[in-house]
Amino acid sequence: MRPFRKLAAAAIGLALLPTSVSALGGQARPPHLRPPDPGSDEGGLWDASDKAEQKARASGDLDADPVLNAYVKSVECKVASEYCEDVRLYVMDRPFFNAETAPNGYIEVWTGTLLRARNEAELAFVLGHETTHFALNHSIQAERDLKNRANGAMAIGLILSAGAMVGGAYAGMSASQISSMDADLVNISYLGAVAGFFHFSREQEMEADRGGFDRLTAAGYDPAAAADVWRRLIDEQAHSDFEKVRRTPARAGIFDDHPLEGERLATLSELAKGKGPGDLGRERYRAAIRPHLAALLRDDLRRRDYGETLFTIDRLLADGDDAGVLNYFRGECFRLRRGDGDAALALAAYEAAATAADAPVETWEQLGALYQQQHQAAKARAAYQTYLDRAPNAQDRWLIDGALKKLAQSEGT
Amino acid sequence: MRKLVLGLVLAAGALTLWGCTTVSDAPTGAYQVGTAYQVTLGREWADVSRIMLDRSKSVHVLSIDGPLLNRLYLSEGIASGDSMVTSHVKEKPTPTYKADFSAQETVEFVADSVSALDYDKVETSNLRPAKFGGIDAVRFDLAAKTKDGLDISGSAITAQRQGQLFVILYLAPTEHYYGDGLPEVEAIMSSASFRGA
Repeated sequence: MRPFRKLAAAAIGLALLPTSVSALGGQARPPHLRPPDPGSDEGGLWDASDKAEQKARASGDLDADPVLNAYVKSVECKVASEYCEDVRLYVMDRPFFNAETAPNGYIEVWTGTLLRARNEAELAFVLGHETTHFALNHSIQAERDLKNRANGAMAIGLILSAGAMVGGAYAGMSASQISSMDADLVNISYLGAVAGFFHFSREQEMEADRGGFDRLTAAGYDPAAAADVWRRLIDEQAHSDFEKVRRTPARAGIFDDHPLEGERLATLSELAKGKGPGDLGRERYRAAIRPHLAALLRDDLRRRDYGETLFTIDRLLADGDDAGVLNYFRGECFRLRRGDGDAALALAAYEAAATAADAPVETWEQLGALYQQQHQAAKARAAYQTYLDRAPNAQDRWLIDGALKKLAQSEGT
Repeated sequence: MRKLVLGLVLAAGALTLWGCTTVSDAPTGAYQVGTAYQVTLGREWADVSRIMLDRSKSVHVLSIDGPLLNRLYLSEGIASGDSMVTSHVKEKPTPTYKADFSAQETVEFVADSVSALDYDKVETSNLRPAKFGGIDAVRFDLAAKTKDGLDISGSAITAQRQGQLFVILYLAPTEHYYGDGLPEVEAIMSSASFRGA
């Protein structure tokens, strides 16, 4: 884009900026602005963020699917058109509800967020919240506050600033706790490091909520989606398998010391009152997520918090889409949990999945195994045969053939 | 990629130095895996078990060039309810083996355990019948990525005997190291023999 066009775009962007002045006194950053002085504190933050962004690009967690990334970016551009050119979005394959923004405009959206959002409006609120942290320079404010508190003794050493929102199993935990728990699931050593430096204030988080809400509604989305995101976080945590997680107050961010208490929820609910319903973008969202849904659910199962995964699945099932995939993974929760009565629950879920057109082929493999365990040989044989018919090149075909032989022998005796 | 491998070599060297007091030799010849079985090593390996903090006590870990460049997990019999990978936090359980696992579920258990180590995007492929110390077993291949995006390849064998699970799992960077060590690993897998069998 030519410079004068950039300038014009910036001017238009500023005019459209929903939260151009921070309630905390900060001015929204003009689009396309880079720190003028690389030696300044903001320049240092920007440089460190550039390095973190390079690392993210090489990360094993990076989801390189161009269609998915383009879709998420398109939602960002709807809620933050003035920063559309400034923001680089990366979808990271990490099964937690989280998004975070670096001061240089690099945003990570974790796939746990994409799984849990029911519609485009919920994703739009998350991105709007993140963009508000970026637009209002919350990172640099927090950095300066921290330096003031430490009498300037602490050097700028952070890798990644963050307006971070984390939920799911970890909504109530600090970054350092998550770091110690999930080094295997997420390369978040950097989060642990950054947690020591950056905590957005409660006021900044509330401001980001308000900014996210303004951006959501300005883009024509349903205002109720904002409060729904936080409400779901709190509800999901209440369904955790782990008492410690259930007991811990939900938090909206891993850098957030402030519980996601009723006030933030009430504020967003109050803001939505009197506003007409907007666009949920549910069908668009489901269409974008559908090709990835099975992989997202399989990743979520790796957390082994079946209570939370079941909550997420049931919430999505209530909308009536993707019943085959969702019921199959409902069955997987029970199969993997292996609690009392779980085999029967798994069977019911797989049977429900099998009635839907989108059931994964593995549904019939699991049905075969469960029927076989229950000595229902005819049903087991039929299910296995359906599996082989639908997946003639299944890599475990020889094992299924063996099971069928065993069933035939048992019927013959 | 070369820079990355060089980094890994240096890191492996540092790890080796750090662990020089806890890494022991696993010389060529018979290597006893607990009381249940032994394998034959065709060359000298290093037993790095004591510096691999995520493994459960019943799992031995051998390496040639350092655990970042190649690692061979040899499990003693994993009893029902036990794991290959330890959990340090109750809210973050690691995969546990159950005696009623199907053969496919043992493959899933190994893949989940690899995920619980430090790897992303773990995939299994090429399931095939095999023998482990004379009993029926499943061989399969793995692909994964490190957190830094390095491609990792793997090969594994699982067998169930007397309610316990036996696993041999080999992981190495796809570039150079995996292929370099695979023939030796194949021979080790084939050499497994149960005591008294």
